[in-house]
Amino acid sequence: MVQIVISSAGAEGLAEWVLMELQGEIEARYSTGLAGNLLGDLHYTTEGIPVLIVGHHILYGKIIHLEKPFAVLIKHTPGEQDCDELGHDPGTTRYLVTALIKDKILFKTRPKPIITNVPKKV
Amino acid sequence: MEDYEEELHGVEDDFHSQFAAELEVLAELEGMPFLPPSGVPPPVAAGPRPTFEEAIAGGDAATCPWPPASRGSSRCGARKRPEEATSPNKEPLPHTPKVKRPKLEAVKRLNFGPEMEDLQFPESPPRDITPPLSPEVPKELWGSGPLDVAADAGLTQALHGTQNPVLRRPPVLEDYINVTSTGGDRAFLVLHPDSTGTGVQSPLLDVRWRRPGRLDLLGISFASLKDQVDSERRQRLVQEAQQLSDILHSLRSEEEEAQGMRDPMEEPADGQDTSQHCLWVDEFAPQRYTELLSDDFTNRCLLKWLKLWDLVVFGHERPSRKPRPNVEPARIGKEATASGKWKSQEQVVEEMLEAELDPNGRPRQKVALLCGPPGLGKTTLAHVIARHAGYCVVEMNASDDRSPEAFRTRIEAATQMESVLGTSGKPNCLVIDEIDGAPTAAINVLLSILNRKGPQEAEPGGPAVPLGGGRRRRTEGTLLTRPIICICNDQFTPSLRQLKQQAFLLHFPPTLPSRLVQRLQEISLQQGMQSDPGALAALCEKADNDIRACINTLQFLHRRGQWELSVRDVQATHVGFKDQRKGLFFVWQEVFQLPRAQRRLGGQDPNLLAHTLLPGNREMGSLTLASQSFYHILRVTTSAGEHEKVVQGLFDNFLRLRLRDSSLGSVCMALDWLAFDDLLEQAAHHGQSFQLLHYLSFLPAAFHVLFASSHVPRIAFPSTQQEAQNRMSQIRNLIQTLVSGIAPATRSWATPQALILDTLCLVLDILTPKLRPVSTQLYSTREKQQLSSLVGTMLAYSLTYRQERTPDGQYLYRLEPNVEEVCHFPELPARKPLTYQAKQLIAREIEVEKMRRAEALAHARVGPQVDQGAPGPEGLFSGSRDKEVRQPALRNHEQRLEHIMKKAALEEQPERDFFGRVVVRRAAAPSTETEAPEKDAVEWHMGTAVGRSEVWFRFNEGVSNAVRRGVYIRDLL
Repeated sequence: MVQIVISSAGAEGLAEWVLMELQGEIEARYSTGLAGNLLGDLHYTTEGIPVLIVGHHILYGKIIHLEKPFAVLIKHTPGEQDCDELGHDPGTTRYLVTALIKDKILFKTRPKPIITNVPKKV
Repeated sequence: MEDYEEELHGVEDDFHSQFAAELEVLAELEGMPFLPPSGVPPPVAAGPRPTFEEAIAGGDAATCPWPPASRGSSRCGARKRPEEATSPNKEPLPHTPKVKRPKLEAVKRLNFGPEMEDLQFPESPPRDITPPLSPEVPKELWGSGPLDVAADAGLTQALHGTQNPVLRRPPVLEDYINVTSTGGDRAFLVLHPDSTGTGVQSPLLDVRWRRPGRLDLLGISFASLKDQVDSERRQRLVQEAQQLSDILHSLRSEEEEAQGMRDPMEEPADGQDTSQHCLWVDEFAPQRYTELLSDDFTNRCLLKWLKLWDLVVFGHERPSRKPRPNVEPARIGKEATASGKWKSQEQVVEEMLEAELDPNGRPRQKVALLCGPPGLGKTTLAHVIARHAGYCVVEMNASDDRSPEAFRTRIEAATQMESVLGTSGKPNCLVIDEIDGAPTAAINVLLSILNRKGPQEAEPGGPAVPLGGGRRRRTEGTLLTRPIICICNDQFTPSLRQLKQQAFLLHFPPTLPSRLVQRLQEISLQQGMQSDPGALAALCEKADNDIRACINTLQFLHRRGQWELSVRDVQATHVGFKDQRKGLFFVWQEVFQLPRAQRRLGGQDPNLLAHTLLPGNREMGSLTLASQSFYHILRVTTSAGEHEKVVQGLFDNFLRLRLRDSSLGSVCMALDWLAFDDLLEQAAHHGQSFQLLHYLSFLPAAFHVLFASSHVPRIAFPSTQQEAQNRMSQIRNLIQTLVSGIAPATRSWATPQALILDTLCLVLDILTPKLRPVSTQLYSTREKQQLSSLVGTMLAYSLTYRQERTPDGQYLYRLEPNVEEVCHFPELPARKPLTYQAKQLIAREIEVEKMRRAEALAHARVGPQVDQGAPGPEGLFSGSRDKEVRQPALRNHEQRLEHIMKKAALEEQPERDFFGRVVVRRAAAPSTETEAPEKDAVEWHMGTAVGRSEVWFRFNEGVSNAVRRGVYIRDLL
């Protein structure tokens, strides 16, 4: 029987992450790809509604409490060099919980464009 | 008298049972203090009351006081005259009791009035010795004393010698000349009429001109009498008139009684006096039940109904209630078998009267409704009977108080209150006159009052208690406890429908002419008018037995100074017609039917009539039958009003009659008359020359003369005019819609009249081509052309076929507007109609063509704008110049957007000549990211905050396969 060992590290407690779900795709403007680019800004309104601004789009979303929270695990295999420093049994694979996800932000409505130059007369 | 008594005894048992109610009331009346012991008691009152002889003796005794005195005072000779005069005085006495009516009795006595006067005043008595007995009478008598001689021509000669013609005092009633002596003494000389001078008694002339009435007691003309009396009493009469208006009825009855008490000598003078100021109708109105002229049965029914109220109003049970049941069957049987004059309807009415009272002791029907034509004495009957039964009559006229509120207050005041003054505490009886003039709301008020339930309705002992309690109860509850009598002329007025169901309905039969003639004769006798029964009968006939009209006519003639009534007078006069509107059918019937030959008018050959109006012989006898009926028709038609309807009825019906002359001359005449009538009406109504309307009423008279026959015409209500008018307006509307829909180019040639007369007939022929019943795809080019030209024509006239569903479920196509109706002339051969399929095909083609034209029109409107730089329609076909630009620009949503963007760009262009164009390009092709300058421009436009982002978000919509594409009609058709 395989025993999976999950341990949490750090005494200061786990970090809480937030899941973000978008209806749509994130595309890079140039063919260079998304890597290294700033996605956009996430804000919260005074009522707590998350607002995401991507490019010239503004998305309004909502926070959904997940019924089953997720945990973010990092797998440690014995072959790697950093396993030794914890001083555990090197023969078994361990998982280290790095963060918990209890909420997600869902952007499912059609984004609104941000228009900077409005024609004077339409 | 003995005979009379025997007669009475012979019928007594029957009589008592029949007239129980009346007898009872009569007995009551006698017991009542306010009724004076009149000179003559009611004749029906048999038994211990004074007989006629006694009554007359009493009357004589009442008049006695002065004749002996005057007799004694007469110093002069002529003693033989009293004997001579008294013999006629005594002689008629035995006959008088035969007369039933007290009034007539008085009249009979007047007959020998002159002689009596002669007897009393054979000469002028000395004034010093005999003082005036009463304020008015003796004065007249004194004044007339010297003139009495005129009465007896034989004696006057002798008497004149003995008279002293010089008077000390001015004669009151005579024309006179005053003479003043040198000593200042004034003497008066009476101007004598010349009648004595002739010596010869020419009976007719003298009577007519000098002594107008044979009954003249004073022997002088009434005219001079009237003048004198008038000037004396004017002041008094004015005051009297004012009082009269308030308490007319009560006063009148008292006057009547007072007159009965006064001596018979005074009466004619007094009557003459009042007759100038009041109508004879009022003066001679019946005051007693026995004087009523109307039908006995009606009178009795109303009286019985009114007596039913006794229990509630007076609080005493009807005494005749118990014997009634055993008398009843015998009576009914006798009536039924005896003469058969009792109709079943009358029995029904009687049974209604026998019905039980309701729990409150009131009769079932709370209201009596008298209906009948005017002038029959309905109001009089109601008044007399109500007074007879011991009520105080409160009359209200429903056409005066029209508002329901006023109506209610009046009714409640009359039925719940009691007048304190004058009427000696008699309960009220409300008489509502002319209730057919009241609005429905007012009638409803009356009904609600009738149907009110008193608070004691629920109490079980209702009918037992009311004795004496009725009066108290009335104050607390609003239960109606007073009889109401309604009077109407037309019982079929819609507003009366409700009331009729609850009312005791009494129809007023027409007055019997014989009774009316008798009454008229009495009146004329009393008024000193000479009249023979024939003339009076003619008068009755003329007035349709309308009592009021008869008496008014009589008075009218009397006032005009006619002292003798003849048939000729009656026929020549224009008054006395009943002013009553007759129905249209009555008018038409009168026009087309000859009056039945009346025996008085003398039978004339009716065929003479036809030629009186034909040209040539136009002379008419003054009073022939022809002229009579001519005037009759004239009157009937003018009184009918609605001249147009009358004429239409004549026009519609005159050809259906049996025409007498084969040459149709009368028809031509009639048509001429109709044309003339049309012209007159047009002139009158278009030109406002209304004086021409006078002549209109002659048309029916002419028709009468031309077409009247003794057959009963079958008359239909005129409808042709209405039909023609409807059809005309319908066709006019049709043409109007057609014209308004016609294309302008066509319309310029098509006036409505030209359309009807010339165009439409032919157009309809054009519109029915031969079409093969196959699909249009299979048509040859020629057929296609034919079809398209047909469609073009129909469109030009805005005609189309429309599907309709007939009542029996079939579908058919009909031309719209349906001008086939317009040019459907009965003479023309029927057009062969198109088949259903052909019409359907044409209708579809028309629709398609209409759409095509509309689209072309729309394109013509839009086209020039689009052509400015955007693709026009020709761009599709020929444009290869800039296809790569055009192709996307044609996309549906972009068409509009393009306009907008272009406008915006055009506006911005003066500032940014270069970038403007770029914006258009970018909008046209948003997804092309080829050139750097573009991006810069965009970034520049977007601003730095959001525009610089390297990342785009592309939203995934839901799946939609819908395609939007502009489609033109021309692509479909």
